[in-house]
Amino acid sequence: MQRIMSILWPSFLVAGVAEGLFFTLIDPQELYLLGEPVYFSRTAAYSIGFLCFWAICAASSLATCYLLRSAADINRGVGASQE
Amino acid sequence: MPDLSSKTEPVTFVEQSLFEVHQKVYPRAVTGVFARWRWIMVWLTQLLFYGLCWLPWNGRQAVLFDLIERKFYIFGLVFWPQDVIFLAVLLIIAAYSLFLFTAVGGRLWCGYACPQTVYTEIFLWIERKIEGDRSARMKLDAAPMTIRKALLRATKYVLWGGLALWTGFTFVGYFTPIKTLWTTVWSFSLGPWESFWIFFYGAFTYLFAGHLREQVCMYMCPYARFQGAMFDPDTLTVTYDLARGEPRGARKKGPAPASIGLGDCVDCHICVQVCPTGIDIRKGMQYECIGCAACIDACDQVMDKMGYPKGLIRYSTEHAIEGRWGWKEIISHVARPRVLIYSAILWAIIIALVWGIVNKPTLRVDVIRDRAVLAREVEDDLVENVYRLHVMNVAEAMHRYAITVSGLPGIDMMGDRIVELPAAADKTVTVRVRAPKESGKKGSNVIYFDVKLLSDEKVAVHEKATFLIP
Repeated sequence: MQRIMSILWPSFLVAGVAEGLFFTLIDPQELYLLGEPVYFSRTAAYSIGFLCFWAICAASSLATCYLLRSAADINRGVGASQE
Repeated sequence: MPDLSSKTEPVTFVEQSLFEVHQKVYPRAVTGVFARWRWIMVWLTQLLFYGLCWLPWNGRQAVLFDLIERKFYIFGLVFWPQDVIFLAVLLIIAAYSLFLFTAVGGRLWCGYACPQTVYTEIFLWIERKIEGDRSARMKLDAAPMTIRKALLRATKYVLWGGLALWTGFTFVGYFTPIKTLWTTVWSFSLGPWESFWIFFYGAFTYLFAGHLREQVCMYMCPYARFQGAMFDPDTLTVTYDLARGEPRGARKKGPAPASIGLGDCVDCHICVQVCPTGIDIRKGMQYECIGCAACIDACDQVMDKMGYPKGLIRYSTEHAIEGRWGWKEIISHVARPRVLIYSAILWAIIIALVWGIVNKPTLRVDVIRDRAVLAREVEDDLVENVYRLHVMNVAEAMHRYAITVSGLPGIDMMGDRIVELPAAADKTVTVRVRAPKESGKKGSNVIYFDVKLLSDEKVAVHEKATFLIP
């Protein structure tokens, strides 16, 4: 549980900052998605944007966590099943 | 993190030992000067949070961060995406204020104003009203499940859930007009994303204030990790007076401590029981200490009962404890280089912000060339270029603006010459500009758009644009 939190929590904080910066500078209505103008509402765009930022940041945290495992962990196979 | 390599226990143990086993903290209720201050702060911050979003102003919500319209309303001020610099400056001010308060008063933010502290306090109050104080809660937790226990639990969770949902609703109400939100809730027509965010924020509140509590401060808060960097030996912290307290020990009321070879600490452990993070302040300064001063209130009551002077645990500084200073000396050490530098920077930024807001333009114009048609020849040897003028009325009143064009002999425009804009609104006007073919050189020519407020010509924007002649 605590390992999941240590992946989700920092990524949540950074995603919040990224979301703020990105959507302050860029209006989602002016974006193109797969060649088409974004058709969903701003509320949806902000929300999906945040969840995407969170997912990306979480992926990065996950990689960090994965690489942080000590030699002893890897030899014992500890944590492999959780990640 | 403990060093795993030195552990030889079976794998099952190692998996858990990555982190220390969490022991539930049962903070005991505390009354006193600092507890009262915390409750004052709870009321102030929450009246502000739950109330401000309902306040009307000029026919709209007074404080609304309208994400859909991309406009932030703060009473009479309207901020557009172009004003992002003010937001940045505001964040810098918040950060510097935090540095300043921390350097002078230690973790005042954590102890009295942080939402985590405030909501934990409220949730704990609910818990205490339903399940009783520390010992009753510990007994209840240890007891087997009975109907009474189930009822108490259910009541607590329902009340927590209600408060958490109301908090989530209020939070969303700062980003989308709260009165409309309220009616959509009751007509069951709440949008999917609004519902998502209400439940998301509500769930966070519930989890953080109801269950995680001190763990948020200890494991999740970035500020808790670096606040020590702002500390110096003259920073106020919650301190146990080691010299006065030790050697600690239980004793009967009556004889002076010195006569029985003891210090003032009666080792009653009440300071530990009231601590929301479950630490023993007598072990000295610890990063887990959020500076809430619950132990000060608790210890002062014990000192009163024993007939000893208050302040065995008190707000003091490292230097003050060493030099046995009084308040006069502590205060005289507030003005030190670190504090003066923080204050000077803070004031400079605040003055710059106020100046910037006062001098914020009330009219903005963006000229965008129509990309589809670069230039075309029309009748009578005239060349036509098309522009889109994005006119933004940043003021809080309805305004009418006049548009004129200049820069080439014989240049003129077709289309609306007057734009009317409601308060804090914007509009894109399509303008076709015509000029005689021989009035300029082939290629691009500089022209100017002038947008002027009809009632006050001083409010004007002079925008450059290019006019193409084929």
